[in-house]
Amino acid sequence: MEDKFDRGSALTIFKNDRAEDFVALGLALAIALLIYLFV
Amino acid sequence: MVYTQKSPWPFIVGLIMVAYAYSVQSGLMEPVIKFLGTGRHVGEMQTLGYCFGGVALAVGLWQMLVTPREGHADYYLSTIAGVMFIMLVAFIVKWGLDPMMAKWGREARAVLGFNFASILNLNYVVMGIVAGIIIVNVFKVPAWAENGVRLSRLGLKTGVIMLGALYSFAELAQLGQLSVVLIGVFVLGSVWLVLLIGVRQKLPNSMTGVMSSGIGVCGVSASVAAAPVVQAKSIEIAYTIGTVLLFGVVCMFLFPFVGKLFGMGHVQFGAWAGTGILNSAQVAGAALAYQPDGIETLKVAEIFNITRVLFLPIIVVWLAIWYVRREEAAQRHVEKVDVTGVIISKFPVFVLGFILMFLLSSTGIFAPARHYQGAFFDNSDKVMKRVDKRSGKEIDNYLKEKEIAALKKDVEKVKREDQRTALQRLIDGRKIMSEADDATVRGVINAKILSTESNAALTRAHRVVRHTAAKISMFRNLIAWFFTFGLVGLGMQITLSSIRQAGGQPLVIGSIVGVIKAVGSLIVVLLLVHETI
Repeated sequence: MEDKFDRGSALTIFKNDRAEDFVALGLALAIALLIYLFV
Repeated sequence: MVYTQKSPWPFIVGLIMVAYAYSVQSGLMEPVIKFLGTGRHVGEMQTLGYCFGGVALAVGLWQMLVTPREGHADYYLSTIAGVMFIMLVAFIVKWGLDPMMAKWGREARAVLGFNFASILNLNYVVMGIVAGIIIVNVFKVPAWAENGVRLSRLGLKTGVIMLGALYSFAELAQLGQLSVVLIGVFVLGSVWLVLLIGVRQKLPNSMTGVMSSGIGVCGVSASVAAAPVVQAKSIEIAYTIGTVLLFGVVCMFLFPFVGKLFGMGHVQFGAWAGTGILNSAQVAGAALAYQPDGIETLKVAEIFNITRVLFLPIIVVWLAIWYVRREEAAQRHVEKVDVTGVIISKFPVFVLGFILMFLLSSTGIFAPARHYQGAFFDNSDKVMKRVDKRSGKEIDNYLKEKEIAALKKDVEKVKREDQRTALQRLIDGRKIMSEADDATVRGVINAKILSTESNAALTRAHRVVRHTAAKISMFRNLIAWFFTFGLVGLGMQITLSSIRQAGGQPLVIGSIVGVIKAVGSLIVVLLLVHETI
């Protein structure tokens, strides 16, 4: 699979694990905010 | 490189999803829903069907009409079609295959003498992963969906961070102590064992070092974190990841089966999976496969998994010292590595995210602070006897005569005085009388000392007085979907070529230590861990 993508790796679209972690954190916090405001 | 593939399929996937949601809403699907017994999913069938279907329609239309150009927009937007593809598979498995298999399993019991779906653990989690594996290895993931499949790990990490909102201080303290001891013994033990076997078998120090971290701590990320301090080559990292992945996939299917064989409770199984399985994603897979209709097992497993990741800095320092000593003893030149820098740059941030979410939740913003695990106790009359808004029928939640009779018959089996008193109060009042009694009654249920009828009565009595806060309930649903998405996508990444990366001695050593760790932790968990949470 590696050759198919010139960005990220076979397992992720992000350039490294750290970037993926931060996006996951941002996404989780955004969802938490939406739940806090609207549920 | 342009990632967007011009294909009508994302649009067709959107059409299928929206049409399905509409047919559920209009009642067209009513006979099928009744036949499969999926009535409780009707709400999410409509919400998720319309939401994901709408996005798939919009993206599908955009992909067909616009000529994509290389750049960030093309790269990131092209992932959406893959997300929709994974969700479509997840919908089919969760709302179709899972209930169908459960029905066949129940019906086949009369002929076979056992429920094959239950014994083989054929629930939506296992079938979702298997569907992913079959798709990628037999049919291949469609080109238009390939980029999006690489988002599955993001789904799992987001799910883990959100899971932090569901723990209470008391629960974390209780599970935390247990996990630190168990994980401490097994992580340090397995790292030591791999180092020992690696040296005896005369494997290169770099290979032994990176493998000890992968097998001991948490699979892929630990291997990557340890690689710089032991100066591992890419092929050695690939061997380790291949071994961890292959072993993890086998464990993911085997652990729930063994757990059921031993009649393990949620805490026991979670503790075992979190200790014995090597990789985070497979820990989540096994925990959800064991308890697909709830996340109690997942919560316990993830605490153990996160405790394991917290051991990573210790292991990195240990390996750095070990490697330098070994190389110097062999009179080889060792390049200096900034160990602190490696720890800071490689430590998984999502673990800190989990702790952050837990701290946020502890302030009481999602559920009042007195609520335990987002659930609250209420046994007032308006809860015990109420009129159902939909049907207009009166619902009586007090224990029935038959249930009281079963409990009266079994009360002598209970030896502990506090449990017996709580049961007596329950029999007299025909409901659980206080929050303290509720905790005691749960202990009786988990101890499995009463008859099936009495346990069913106690479980019902517990359920009618426990209510989940709306925000926490929403968290639970979303977390379950994030994990479902991540695990179906994970299945689509388990290719035969990635498994072939595990080979020769690394696979043998990894498997030996992995099996010792799995069996050892099973014995310890069965002996020492009780269903007390």
